[in-house]
Amino acid sequence: MSRRPLDSSVPAIAVHDVSKRYGRTIALDHVDLEVAAGEFVVLTGPSGAGKSTLLNLLAALEKPDTGTIFVRGHRLGRRSRHLNRLRRVEVGLVFQLHNLIPRLTARENVEAAMFETHRGRRQRTARADELLERLDLAERATDRPPTMSGGERQRAAIARAVANQPAVLLADEPSGSLDDHSAQLVFDLFDEMRDGGATILAVSHDSRLEQRGSRVISIADLSTSAA
Amino acid sequence: MTFVGLIMRNIGSRPLRAALTASAVAIGVMAVVALGVLTTSLKESATQILDVGNADFTIAQKNSSDIINGTISQDDIDAIGRIPGVRKAVGALISTDPYDENNPLVIEVGLNPADQAPFGLNILEGKAYTADSDDQVMLGYALAKQIDKTVGDSITIGGHDYTVTGLYRTNVSFGNSTMMFPLAYLQGLNRLSGQVTLGFVQVEDGASIARVRAEIDSQYAQLTTIETAEDFGRADRNLTLISAANTGGSLLAGLIAITGVLNTSLLSFFERIREFGIYRSIGWSRFRVIALVIGEAVVVSVVGAAVGVLLGWGAINVLENLRQLKGVFKPLYDAGIFWRSLGFGLTVAFLGALYPALRAALVAPITAVRRE
Repeated sequence: MSRRPLDSSVPAIAVHDVSKRYGRTIALDHVDLEVAAGEFVVLTGPSGAGKSTLLNLLAALEKPDTGTIFVRGHRLGRRSRHLNRLRRVEVGLVFQLHNLIPRLTARENVEAAMFETHRGRRQRTARADELLERLDLAERATDRPPTMSGGERQRAAIARAVANQPAVLLADEPSGSLDDHSAQLVFDLFDEMRDGGATILAVSHDSRLEQRGSRVISIADLSTSAA
Repeated sequence: MTFVGLIMRNIGSRPLRAALTASAVAIGVMAVVALGVLTTSLKESATQILDVGNADFTIAQKNSSDIINGTISQDDIDAIGRIPGVRKAVGALISTDPYDENNPLVIEVGLNPADQAPFGLNILEGKAYTADSDDQVMLGYALAKQIDKTVGDSITIGGHDYTVTGLYRTNVSFGNSTMMFPLAYLQGLNRLSGQVTLGFVQVEDGASIARVRAEIDSQYAQLTTIETAEDFGRADRNLTLISAANTGGSLLAGLIAITGVLNTSLLSFFERIREFGIYRSIGWSRFRVIALVIGEAVVVSVVGAAVGVLLGWGAINVLENLRQLKGVFKPLYDAGIFWRSLGFGLTVAFLGALYPALRAALVAPITAVRRE
């Protein structure tokens, strides 16, 4: 399953007037955002400002109360089949809490993301091993997440998110638990993805990551109601 | 890792739960196998009587709970023998008596010596008893071997001594485990003078069996004619009840097994909500999530079904050696048992896991991601 080619004039991410609330809590209030294809945007802001919520909406994990979201020119709607494909092929999501399956090994966690793609068993294993080696996790490939450190789990989660070579990578604090060496490996991987035309939107408080981004924006600046 | 490998990994990670689920299925399959073999074997044993003496059909008392406990006037059998188209009608009295601890239920057949040949009886050794004797008996060769008796030996039944005059073989296997007495003597012993249990009818060459049966059915309202296993099932209420018990027991076993699979699958679902959410969040389709849950149940159930077949076989062996069923129940296995068990296991897996699978498929990715 390959990605659809994209007109370079179409933004990779377009968020128009999106609001989201949970009960009385307003998570996002009339937010606008456009990210061009190939951009590396770092999104900052205080805790509870709605950064993770915005990533979840962009990954189609939930729906906005109001407003529209386009990812690679496609409006996120209710069609389940399209959303599955979006989560599997178009978008890779690095969760803040990693969300690895504890029962599976690091390699199997990465492989699980490649079911329902064109890759066969051997190709899935080869791709998983390639990414784990790239992120200095080759020796932990057969270990399960509960036995791994926070940094190792974070890198395994990044390997899973990029396994299908997504056109858009959404990363929630991808370097928060990483030492300098490990962070460098991840940043190099991000750079390589960007060189390949991928768009990256990362939520982070990590100054090392902010320095790598082509644009750093604050979530507070995205709300039109605050202007 | 293949998808099947993932299913096996998930099962292997909860071995006790998988074993308990498989046990529920195994018990269900055991019940289905044991009841199925018991019913099939009893039906087969019972319907073998239709083939006695190469009869074209059998006559029994109508509306009897068990045709072997029915009574027919011997005069009626004699009269039936004179109906146009009938070549031979033979009446036989059947009763049971204990012989010893190993043979607590021996079938006794009362038959006139002159009717033995038409009855399909072949004397292997010795000779027939005389029609009016009260101390002579013949033994089926299988029974003789079992109780270690031969021609000239004496046996005691109900405190009365009899001399074995001959050993015989019949054209149906159960007949070889019987003993045979002069008809009049056995009638007297059972206080059933002039009565027989069953009649066996052969029609003339070229005569219509259906026409002869219709003639008998219309003339003798108290009798019924039996030509096929279906006729037998209608005439013998016990067999109908056994079949109904088999169906009911199998359904109950299925219900218990489905409940077992449903229970563990649902418990597993609640424990794995977050996991299903993660699968959905990385692009798994709902169909794949359903396939995962049902696949796990199918593997466990098929293993349970295999164990159940073995347990069923063990249960049949226990039944076969039960004092009450010794000599009466001879298990009859057929290839269909394997397929029925497999079908049972797959059905139980599908029905038991369907609801949890649908629940798993409907887990919203975001709900699972937030569940810590």
